[in-house]
Amino acid sequence: MNTLDSLNNGEQAIIHKFSGGKSFINRVAAMGFTLEAEVTMISKRGRGPVIVYIRDSEVALGRSEAEKIIIKENLK
Amino acid sequence: MNPEINIPTIALAGQPNTGKSTVFNSLTGSKQHVGNWPGKTVEKKTGTYRYNGSALNIVDLPGTYSLTSASLEEKIARDFLLNERPDAVVVMADASQLERTLYLFTEIRLLKVPVVLALNMMDVAREQGKNIDVSALQENLGVPVVPMTASRAKGLDDLISVINNSLKKKNGSPALCMEDNKLLNKYSEIYSLLDDEIPNEYSKEWIAVKLIEKDEEANLVFNRYVSGKKLETAEKLVTEIKDGILHVAGARYNWIRKAILNSIKLLPSDEKKIRRKNFDRAATHPIWGKFIAVGIILLTFITAMIIAIPVMSVAQLLMGPGSGALRDIFSGAPLWVISFFADGLLPVTGVAVMMFSFILGVYFAFGILEDIGYLARLAYVFDRPMNRIGLHGKSFMPLLMSFGCNIAGVTGTRVIDSWQQRMVTLVMVSIIPCMALWAVVSFVGVIFFGAAMPLLIIALLAVVAVHLTFTSALFRKFIVKGEKTGLIMELPPYHKPNWKTIWSYVWVHSKDFLKRAGTLIALISLAVWALSYQHDGNIENSILAAIGKFFDPVSGLIGLDWKLFIALIAAIAAKEASLSVLAVLYGIGDGASSITSLFVSGTGGFENAALTGAIAQSVSPASALAFIFAFFFSIPCIGTVATIYSETRSFKWTAGCSAYYLLASFIAGGIAYRIGLMIF
Repeated sequence: MNTLDSLNNGEQAIIHKFSGGKSFINRVAAMGFTLEAEVTMISKRGRGPVIVYIRDSEVALGRSEAEKIIIKENLK
Repeated sequence: MNPEINIPTIALAGQPNTGKSTVFNSLTGSKQHVGNWPGKTVEKKTGTYRYNGSALNIVDLPGTYSLTSASLEEKIARDFLLNERPDAVVVMADASQLERTLYLFTEIRLLKVPVVLALNMMDVAREQGKNIDVSALQENLGVPVVPMTASRAKGLDDLISVINNSLKKKNGSPALCMEDNKLLNKYSEIYSLLDDEIPNEYSKEWIAVKLIEKDEEANLVFNRYVSGKKLETAEKLVTEIKDGILHVAGARYNWIRKAILNSIKLLPSDEKKIRRKNFDRAATHPIWGKFIAVGIILLTFITAMIIAIPVMSVAQLLMGPGSGALRDIFSGAPLWVISFFADGLLPVTGVAVMMFSFILGVYFAFGILEDIGYLARLAYVFDRPMNRIGLHGKSFMPLLMSFGCNIAGVTGTRVIDSWQQRMVTLVMVSIIPCMALWAVVSFVGVIFFGAAMPLLIIALLAVVAVHLTFTSALFRKFIVKGEKTGLIMELPPYHKPNWKTIWSYVWVHSKDFLKRAGTLIALISLAVWALSYQHDGNIENSILAAIGKFFDPVSGLIGLDWKLFIALIAAIAAKEASLSVLAVLYGIGDGASSITSLFVSGTGGFENAALTGAIAQSVSPASALAFIFAFFFSIPCIGTVATIYSETRSFKWTAGCSAYYLLASFIAGGIAYRIGLMIF
C-alpha cells in the first residue's frame, strides 16, 4: 500500500484511506483531504515536509503526516 | 466601546487567508475594540459599522478551516455561533480557491442563522483565468453571494445592503450541503429519531450531522433529550458509520464540487497547471529558504528600528534638558516633589515613549509580513528544527527576534495561530538573552574571568538551551496541554500588501499597547522611584536598600550581598541601566535622588575604571558568577513584562511568567554560586 509521501514531484494520485487518529482526520479533512480526492505532489526534498496540491490549494504536510495518508492508482 | 444592545450583531467567519481582517478593518475602521474572548487569552475583535443613522455590531471570529472544536480557536468560533446567536453570519470565501474555502460555509449552513457569502479576491480569480458566474453560484449555494475585492475596497457597499436584506429574515433555515446518498439515508434515519425530542432552539440538522462526526458536544445534547429505544437505535446507527467525519467531509466536498461546477469557467489559457514562482521555490528550499527567512526577520527588525530610532533619539536628547527645566520650575518645592517630577515621572514617560515607538515599528513590520502571506513559508522551512523543542515553525521568528529585543519577540508570538503554541513560545521568548544583557555580562565577566570569558558565554548559552527545552516540555505537559499535531498547513498565495489594512492593524494595536503596557510601565517605574528615593543622595537610606538588607539571608543563599541583590531587582526596570545602578550602589555615580533618574543619564554618569575597581574589591568571583547567571535568567525588563501583559491581556499570565523567571533566576544563580565556590 502506497502512502502519499511515496509520490515523486509532479505525480498525482487518489486518496484511498487514512491511518491516523480522529484529531488528525478532523484536521486534514477540513483542508480537503477526503476519500477519493485528487492530490498532486508539488515539492518533496530530502526528509523534510512535503508540499502537495489539493482542491485549489497548496498544503504543507510533515513527512509523518504524509505517511498517514494512503493513496491508490498513481495517475502520473 | 461595548457592543450596543439594540443594533444587530453580525459575525464575520472565514478560513484563514480569505481576507477576513481586510473586510473587518474596512467596515469598522478605527471604531474597533480589541479584547479577549471570555476567560481565554485569544484575541477578540469587535467593531461598529455606521451608515445613514443605523449601525451594525461586527464580531470577527477566529479564522478556522472548520468547526470541529479540535482547537481552541475552532471552539471559540463555534461557541459564539451556537450560543451567542448572531443576527447574521458573513462567511468569507476566496474566489481563487473556491473549493476548499467553501468548506466552512457548508458547516455554518447547518445553523439557524441567515448566511451571506462574501466571495473575496475576485481579481485574483480573474488573473488565474477563472470566470465566476455569481448568479449561478448564488442559486446553487442557496444564499446571497457578494463578489468582492476587499483589498481595493470593492463590494463593501453591496455586502452591507445584502446583510441588511438578510436581517429582515429572523431565522435562517439550516441546509445540509452534502452529496452522498448512502450517508444521507443514514442521516435521515438519525434525524427522524431526534426530530420530536430535541427542542426547536437547536438546529436539529446540526446535531444529527455532528453525531455522525462523533462530536462530543452534540452527543451531550443528544443524550440529554433522547432516551430509551430511540437513543439505542441512534447510537447503533452512528457507530455503524466508521470515520464519520471523513464521510461527512467527503459529502460536503462533493456538494461543493457540484455547486461550483457550472459557475466557474476556466479560460483555456490556464490548463490547471500548477505554476510556482521562482521565489517560492527558493523560499521553501531547505537551505535557501532558511537564509531568506533569517534575512526577512532581520529586515523586519531593522524596519522596526528605523521607525523607532528617531523618536528614541529625540526622547533621549530631551530628557536631560527636560529634567533640568523641571528642577527650575519646582525649585522652591520640597526635594521629593522635585525628585518625583525630574527623576521619576519624566524619565518614566520618556522610557514609555521610546518603547511605544519601537512597538509601533514592530507592529508595522509584522502587519506587512502577515498581509503578504510569506509567514507560512517561514514556518515551513523551520518546522523540523523547531519540532525538536516541541514547537511549530512559526515559533522561529519570535525566538530569533528575541536575541535583539524580547519586546519584539513577545509581540512576534501573535503570528502563531494556535493558542497552545503561542503561549509556550511566549514564555520561552523571554528566556532568550537580548542585546542589552550582554553589555552587563561582559562588563562584570571581564573583571573576574578575563580570558575565560568565551567559556562563560558558552556556559550561559548552554543553560539557555537547557532552560528553553525544559520550559517548553514543562508548559506543554502541565500548563497549556494540547495534543501535539504535526505540520498540516496551507501555503496561501502571495498577496500585495494592503496599506490600509496594515495601518489599521498598527493603529488599533498600538493604541491597545499604550493603554495596557503604558499603564503597567508607569506603575512599576514609579514604584521603583518611590522605593529608591532618598533625600540625601545616599542610596543606603532608601526603602529599596532596607528591602535588600531584609532579604540578605535569602540572597546569601546564592552568594549575593544586598547591593548585588538590589542591582538584580533594579535591573528589571531596564537592563541597560544595571551598570549605572551598580555604580550608584558602590557610591561612584553622581548622587541622584532615585535610580529612575538613571534613565535620564543612560549608561553614562560613572567612570568604568572606578566601577571595575569597586566591584573587584568587594565581590568574590563565585558571587560574581552567581550574579551573572541570576541576572541573565531573571525577569526580563519591564517593557517586556508590560508587552506580555498587553499581548495576553491577562494579569494572571503576566504575574505567573514573572514568578517563573524569578524562580529560574534564583536556581541558576544558586547553582552557579555552588560551582563557583568549587572552582575558585
